[in-house]
This record gives sequence, C-alpha cells and structure tokens, in this order.
Amino acid sequence: MADFNQDERAQREAIDVDRSKGDFKYEENYAYDAGVGLNPGVVDYISKVKGEPEWVREFRHRSLGVFESMPMPTHWATNDLDNIHFQEIRYYLAKGQKASRTWEEVPDDVKRTFERLGIPEAERKFLAGVEAQFDSEASYSRMKEELEKQGVIFCGPTEGLRDHAEIFRRWFGKVIPAGDNKFAALNSAVFSGGSFIYVPKGVKVAQPLQAYFRINAQNFGQFERTLIIADEGSEVTYMEGCTAPKFETATLHSAVVELVALKGAKIQYVTVQNWSSNVFNLVTKRGVAEEDAEVRWIDCNIGSRLTMKYPGVVLRGKRARGEVLSIALANVGQHQDTGAKMIHAADDTTSNIIAKSISVGEGRSTYRGLVHIPRTLRNCRNNTECDALLINERSRTDTYPAISVRGRKNSVQHEASVSKVSAEQIFYMMQRGLTEGEAMSLAVNGFVNDLVKEFPMEYSVELKRLIELQMEGSVG
Amino acid sequence: MSAPVAAAGVTDNALQSAHGGKGPATLADIRRAGREAFASLPMPGRDDERWRFSDVRSLSLDGFAPAGAPSTADASRLVRGSALTADAEATLVFVDGHCVSHPALSAVLVKAGVVFAPIEDVVRERPELLRDEALRHPALLGGAKMLALQRAWFGSGYVLHVPDDVELTKPLSVVHWALAEGSASFPHALIRVGARARAAVHEWRLGAQPDLRTLSVSATDLHAGPGAKIERLSVQNWGSAAQSFEIDTVTAEAAAEVTSVNAAVGARRARLENVVRLQGEGADVRLLGITVATGEQEFDQRTLQVHAAPGARSDLLFKNALLDRARTVFSGLIKVEPGAQRTDAYQTNRNLLLSPEAEADSLPGLEIEANDVKCSHGATTGQISPEELFYLLARGIPLAAAQELLAQGFLEEVLTRIGDAGAADAVRGMLRAKFHS
Amino acid sequence: MPDSLVIRNLHASVGERPILKNFSLTVPKGEVHAIMGPNGTGKSTLAKVLAGHPDYVVQSGDALVDGQPILGLEPDVVARAGLFLAFQYPSEIPGVTIANFIRAALVARQAKGAPFDAKAYYAELYAKMDALKMDRKFTSRFVNEGFSGGEKKRCEILQLMMLKPRYAVLDETDSGLDIDALRIVSEGVNAMRGPDTGFLVITHYQRLLDHIVPDRVHIMWDGQIVHSGGKELALELEEKGYDWVKKELAHA
Repeated sequence: MADFNQDERAQREAIDVDRSKGDFKYEENYAYDAGVGLNPGVVDYISKVKGEPEWVREFRHRSLGVFESMPMPTHWATNDLDNIHFQEIRYYLAKGQKASRTWEEVPDDVKRTFERLGIPEAERKFLAGVEAQFDSEASYSRMKEELEKQGVIFCGPTEGLRDHAEIFRRWFGKVIPAGDNKFAALNSAVFSGGSFIYVPKGVKVAQPLQAYFRINAQNFGQFERTLIIADEGSEVTYMEGCTAPKFETATLHSAVVELVALKGAKIQYVTVQNWSSNVFNLVTKRGVAEEDAEVRWIDCNIGSRLTMKYPGVVLRGKRARGEVLSIALANVGQHQDTGAKMIHAADDTTSNIIAKSISVGEGRSTYRGLVHIPRTLRNCRNNTECDALLINERSRTDTYPAISVRGRKNSVQHEASVSKVSAEQIFYMMQRGLTEGEAMSLAVNGFVNDLVKEFPMEYSVELKRLIELQMEGSVG
Repeated sequence: MSAPVAAAGVTDNALQSAHGGKGPATLADIRRAGREAFASLPMPGRDDERWRFSDVRSLSLDGFAPAGAPSTADASRLVRGSALTADAEATLVFVDGHCVSHPALSAVLVKAGVVFAPIEDVVRERPELLRDEALRHPALLGGAKMLALQRAWFGSGYVLHVPDDVELTKPLSVVHWALAEGSASFPHALIRVGARARAAVHEWRLGAQPDLRTLSVSATDLHAGPGAKIERLSVQNWGSAAQSFEIDTVTAEAAAEVTSVNAAVGARRARLENVVRLQGEGADVRLLGITVATGEQEFDQRTLQVHAAPGARSDLLFKNALLDRARTVFSGLIKVEPGAQRTDAYQTNRNLLLSPEAEADSLPGLEIEANDVKCSHGATTGQISPEELFYLLARGIPLAAAQELLAQGFLEEVLTRIGDAGAADAVRGMLRAKFHS
Repeated sequence: MPDSLVIRNLHASVGERPILKNFSLTVPKGEVHAIMGPNGTGKSTLAKVLAGHPDYVVQSGDALVDGQPILGLEPDVVARAGLFLAFQYPSEIPGVTIANFIRAALVARQAKGAPFDAKAYYAELYAKMDALKMDRKFTSRFVNEGFSGGEKKRCEILQLMMLKPRYAVLDETDSGLDIDALRIVSEGVNAMRGPDTGFLVITHYQRLLDHIVPDRVHIMWDGQIVHSGGKELALELEEKGYDWVKKELAHA
C-alpha cells in the first residue's frame, strides 16, 4: 500500500492548497501591546486600555484566579493541550481602539487583508451587517441603517458595555460563567473583541449579521467574546468566519459565545472555522432558549490543529427547541474534538443533534455529546445522529456521548455509525471520467449533503469548496 | 442458620497477611501482589471517567468479612436448590466461597483431559493451570481496586480447562450461594477452551435469603482458542442489600465463537466490567446484558470491545428495564485498533423507563482507528410506546398487566438469544418475579 | 335497546378539529352493518373513539354496549364490556408471543384467581388458526412483528374469534389484503356471525362486502351518517362513486 506517500501528499496539499486563501500576513506594528505572558498586570492593561468600569476589571481578575486554579482537562481530553505555553502568548494586540464605519478609514494593511478574504464584497452582496476583527480589536464595524432604526444593536463588547450597559450587564457571563471550564475562565480574564448583539422584541433580521475574525500576529491569543440577545419574538442569524496565516509556533484562539433567545425568539449561529493548522481553537458556546424559543448552532470545523468545542443549548422554557448541526473535517495533523450539549430544563422541549465528521490521512475526529433530561420533566425528546466517514486506513474517529434520562414520557435516541468511501465507488466515478480527487470530494460532499442543505446558501457554497480542496489527493 | 463471620473486615491488612501466609506458593504470590496493589490504589473518585454516573460516594468495601464453611445441613439444603441448569454435565456448588459440592466428571471427559474443579483442588493437583497469563489481566474499566482485593483473597472459584478438539455436549453449571450476613466472597473463574473445542458454562450467584447484605467480587478470565465455541451465562441474584462486582475478560482467538450473557437481578448495587478482546481473525463474540432494576438498585455496566485483529465481529446488546427509583448506567466502548480492517462491531443499549423516578444513563462510545469497518452503536431510553399500550388495552388487558407484558416483551430479545432454553426460563422467572416484588 | 350497540349524537374531535358531528347509529346484535365513505370523513375516528383511544376528545353524545355506557371508560374496560376493534394498522408488540398475548386477554376476562384451562385454550387456538390457515408456528411469534399486511389482518381476526366480543368493529380490514387473504379473513368473520354478535364493518371499498354481506349499509360524510340502505346501497355507491353522494348532499 502506498498510503504513506498518499498521506504525505494529502498533508502537503492540506497546507499548500487549503489555507492559501488565508495564508498571508502583513507586517506587525501595533499601537497597543500587552506584552508576552499572562499575569494580573496584563489583565489591568487590557481593562485600562478599554476604559472599563471597575466591576469588569474585578470580573477579569476573579476569572484569572479561576483559570489558574483549574487543572487542564487532560483526564478526558487530549494531552496535546499540554503543548499550549500560556507564558509565551501575547494576550492583547491592537492597532487602534475604534472600529471604522467605512472601509476607507480602515488602515491599509488591514483593509487589504479583508479585501483578500472577500469581506467587503460579501457585505455588499448579502449581509445586514459586518464586523471585522484584526487580532484583539474590530477594525471595521457597520450595520445597515434600517436595522439601526429598528433598534438593533450590533457592536463589540467594549462598546456594548459602554453604550448599553444595562442590557449588557444583565446577560454577560450568565449563560457561561467564568468557572464553566478552564478556557472560559481564560477568556473571561482577557477577552477582547467579538460581538454584542441585541435584537428588540418582534424584530426579524432577514439577512445575516457577519463577524470575521483574523489572527495576524505570531504567538498571539485571540479571545473574543460574543453575546447575542434576541428579545421576545425576534429572529437573527449570525455568521462567523475565521482565518490565520500558518505560523511555525502555536497560536491560541479561545472564545466565549453566549446566546439568549427570549420567549418565541430564534437565533441561528453559523460558524465556518478555517484556522490554519497551528491554531489551538478552544471555544465555549452555549445558548439559552426560553419558552417557544429556538437556538440553532451550525458548526463547521475545517481548520485548526486542535478544536475543542461543544455548542450547547439550555432549554429553559416550555416547548423550547435546540439544535446542533455539525460538520468536522480532520486532515493530517488535525484533531477536531467537537460535539453538542443539550440540557433540558423544561417540559415539552425538543433537541436535535446531527454530527458528521470526516477523517482524512491520520486526522482524528471526536464527537462528545451530553444529553440531560432530569426527573421533574415530561414530554422531552432528543434525537442524536453521529456519522463518521473514514477516508484512509489510519484515519481515526471517536464517539463519546453521555445520555442521562429520567422523568415521564421523555425519550432519547442516539445512533452512530462509521463508514468509509469504498474503492468501488471511487472506481465507478473515475470510470465516468472524474479524477480521483473529484470522485472523493463528490463522495464526501454526498456524505454531508443533507446537512449542508440546512445551511444559509452562501455558506454551503463556501463549505463545499473547502471540502473539495481538502479532499484533493486524499485517496489512499 | 448462618455460618460465623470473622470479626475483622476484608480490607483489614493483618487478617489478609495471616490468610495469605497459607497455601501453595502460587496462591501466596497472587495474594501478595493483590494486597500490595490494593494498598497502593485509591478508591474510585468522582473525576474518574470510568465511574461516571456511578454513585461513588456511597461506595465502600468495608464491613464485610469472609465467612466460615456452612453447616452440613445448610450445605446440603443449598446443594439441593442448585439445579438451575437442568441438564448440567456437572454442577459445582460454593457457599460463601467454600466449595460444598464437587461431583466428578464422566470418565470420558476425564480421559479427554477436561478439568472442571475448584481452584483449591487445582492448586494441589494441577498448579500449572493457574500459572496462566489470564491472571495478569488488568481491570481496564475502573475496577482495579476491587480486582486487587479479589486477588488478595484469591482461592475460591473454579477452573474449566477443555483441551483442543474436545466437545462438551451438555452445559457445566456453577452455583455460588451467599449464606452468612456480611460475608465476602472472591470467586475466580478461569475458563480455557482449546482450539476447536466446545463448552457451555452457566454461573449462578444467589442469595440464600432475599434481603442478605453481602459482598462479592468475582473475576472471570475466559479464553477461547482458535475455532472454539463457548456459551457463557452469568446470573447475579444476590440478596437485596448485597454489593456485587464482576470483572470479566473474554479473549477470542481466530474464528472462535463466544456468547457471553450477563443477567442482573439482585443486589443493592452491582457493577459489571466486561472486556472483550478479539485477537484472532474471524473471531465472533456476542455480548448480551439484561436487567430489571427495582427499588433503589444501581446496575452499572461497563464494557469494552477491543478489535485487535482483522475480520472479527462483535455484537453487544444490553437491555435494561427500570422501575421505582432504580438506576442503570451503561458505558460501552468499541475500540478498533489500527490494522483491524474488515471489523464488524455493534453496540446497542436500550433502556425502558417504567417509573418517572428511575434513571438510565448511557455512555456508548466508539474509538475507530481503521477505515474499512462496519461499526455502529445505538442507545435509546424511553417509555412504553402509547400505541402498543393501547393495542393491549383494546384487547381488554388491564393497564398494569399490559405494562408488565410489554416490559417482559422488551426483555425477550435478549432472553431468546440464550442458547439453553431451560436456563433462559430460569432467568425469565427471576426477572418476572421482580415486577411483583 | 339492551341488545344493541347504540351510538347517539356523538361529537368528537382531535385536538381542536371536530371530526364526528352528531353521529348516530344503532347496530342490533346479530346484524352486520357496513359504514362506507370517502377518506377523511371520520370512519376510523369513530372506531378509535368507541375503543377509548386517548388522542380523541368526546364533546357530547353516548355510546352504549347493550345498555352500558362506554364513553370515557378506559380502553381495557371498554374491551371487556364486549367491544372489539380490529385495527386498520395493528401495532407490533416485540417480545410478546401471540399465544401469551391472547392468553393474557382471556385471563383478564376471567374472575380474579380463576384457574386457566391451558389445554382447552391451545386446542381452541389451534382450531381457529387452522380455520384461518395460519401456521401453528405463529403462536410463538411476536404479535404482528415482521408480519405481512395479510398476516396482521388474519391475526386480528384470530383474536376476534378467540375473544368472542358482543360487537366487533372492523376498521378497513380489507386494506392491504390480496384476494386470497380477503376470502380467508371474510370466512373467519362469517363464521362468527350469529345472534350473539353484532358487526360494524368500516370500509372504503365495496369488494369486502362481496364477501361479508351486510344487513345494512350506511354512508358516512363529514362526520355523520348521510344515507342508509340495504346491501344494494353498496353496489349503487360502487357504480356511481362518492361524487353521487356529494351531489345528493348538495341537493338536500
């Protein structure tokens, strides 16, 4: 078997081809720099630069204490976490403190970055608002005027804190407390950037709001913080994309995303994660769904070295619905450790999880799930489906769901399967004139097709293209 | 009448060394290693993933002690009640760990080299059978501390040795009785079935009174040689206050066929750890589990199916029916090692909640490191289907009877796979009795 | 009317949607009545409501088995009062054998603690299975599990014959049956006909009524009986179709 060569080729192409779009960088010159390493002084620096009130500074310091006191979760997670050297990371880098409202005002190198990534073009075509973050702070932030008139707020957490303190403080850190896990604590200590969104009662934002996260500097840690509140009966879709150049050293991205869907509201949160393969992507995402509300996570993980991310929904109101649709593609040198958590906390709540993963070369994909239905509840339903596709002989997949059920008329169903693309399928398609890579990407796209159909159109196109790039030369 | 119980507990070091000092060297070695391991290992903690969902806070091995041999009257009464496998070739009976009945095998089997004897006899007559690497199998699924204790008290239990090409047509039966309140027993089963040989063995673990509080830590090492066929049934029906730990290792060589059934009926808390290693091409292992959990019972099932060879098949089905405030934890992992191509591995856990206070936890896992595999798992937890219930009610069957009938129907899928119809009936009877306890 | 199945001014709904609208019908013991009507007119709802299915809500009206009111009773109580429903879609009951199932249903009809004559039971069971041309191996098969459509319907008729109700409601028993199965099932029903049993045969098509010849035929439309007649009404309906009923209604 010539698998080793095949894998090597896959690896080369994974690096050379896949991330070509994001693999470039401009010179680093920052007006604000918190230096290297993590200590209370760094926290003070960030808080001071941002001009935050005292309670936020205290929150940051408390969180730093929590972070330092918590062990690495390596008793269940991969030991690769031990390769993160917290004292070698830069925690805050910014060229300026204020996001521009027009692309003209954005510094040239930053503007060129986002132009190469196609952000201004996408904004013109189909977005209701865009925020573009460059390292620690947003460089550009703008939303359509009519939304502003309807009272929709779309800004960064610093502005949210300054201009909308009452709403911000009411929800901030409530869905994901600082002590939720070690990385949530880290984010709570040094967070900067991200989005703060408030959609007023009954307002339905038809087009998506988009955030774009870019890491440009080496040895840098990005810690954005997003808080979305959809008031009663409102609807919003938020999409995030991310890229970074490929550095020799490890880069850390550790975000916290909190969603609050009040009575009858709907939030859809779409992620296409395409970090370069040196990024540790350790993200905590959770939403609360009140009565008749719906929180839906669409989570695609294509890039990064190690991703650990398990979007969750706390179904707190009657008839609330939670959904996680997840696609993970683990290529050589990657570990996509993803999953979903559904915490049922009210009667008649339903949750649905569909997770599909593809492992290429020696790539490893892991699904971790949690479904919890306590004793006091009735008529709750969960359905979970995990399908793994293994491309090469040494590809790896793991599935670790945890399901706990009590109460009346609750039912939970979990199914998982593992399959491969058969040599016969590939041969069949090649006989029809497709190259091996085309055949493989067709098969993989077929595998994820029913999920991709659920995505906003712009993203499904992007995702298909990324999968095609990843699959070239992967056939073993 | 109960046999006297020693004053000190099984975890007491002094007593152990006194006990460990006797017996042949093999036994002493095993016991010493067990004592040392027991002393060095911590009790399972809440952060141990292998004990997730288990009630580790209430876990204690203290307050139990080995009981003396039973009176002749008790022994003969219990031997008479030990005919659970109706057509058994031979039945070994233990009471509180002491062998009280040991009928001889037929001359044909003896001549063929079959050994089916208590460990104490094997130590004396065939010590080489105990120098088996099986005794060095670690407890991979969290019960290392319990297994160490079992080794520290090693000596009870039996050896089944079936040489190559020998086929046993009738099942062998082993009955373990707990008789004395507070007694601890540590039986070991060493089952080695040679190439192309064939055997069936049934183990019954029974409480002599319904509400006994006893401790049992048992270990089973089952080795199926190339092309061997083994059917194993282990039924746990200790007294209602008992604690039970079963640590099983099944190893299947090429083209071996093994069916292993675990039924849990009694005990306050019972934990089963079952590691299956398919290490020869074409090995085929079926693992079945069945429980009816009532009252405050906790049944904890931990399984691992390791595919270490290509072209092997494993199929697991665990079904739990839960009433009252009972709890079951099923945690299973299929592990396909690199190179184990053409693996077929399945794992199914179905839990039927018959009470809103009952809790079923499920941790079905996969770790796959080969791509040419057929692998799936499924876990469901739910109540009786309203449509099925209505159908029965519409035939005039009252609600309670209809629910019971449906719950028993739910369990049949496992019971019908027990090869020996008589033994299946005995298990069915024990499980049904729990709906009326 | 002590010796009848009487349904009077019945209003019933699923959720908010009314299905049965002032439905009235009397089936005297010893007679076979057929209810015909297009899909969605409430025929199956009638069957489920009579059997006490929890998904349906009765607003008003009565249903009496030989004078005993059955609405609002638990389904098993209704069944033991003498009403049998042959399901359009019989449930599969995994793990419960046909023999055990029918036995449990018979035991439920006995006085508490009365001995069950297993020998007589099996003799009768086998005789009825022979009549329905069912393989005796079916006794140890799980109820309806993996059965073909025809096998399921035969199993329903077997239960009917074993449980001997006062009234049997056959809900679309002909659906999914080939001609041979239809004949066998009909023979089973016809063998049950007699002064002690009343039948309500619900069907969409006339062809079942070629085999089970009814004493009365009722046409159901929008939740009630709109037309009643002798067995020739079924033929007329077959010839003219349901459009004819619609037109008649328009003129009425």
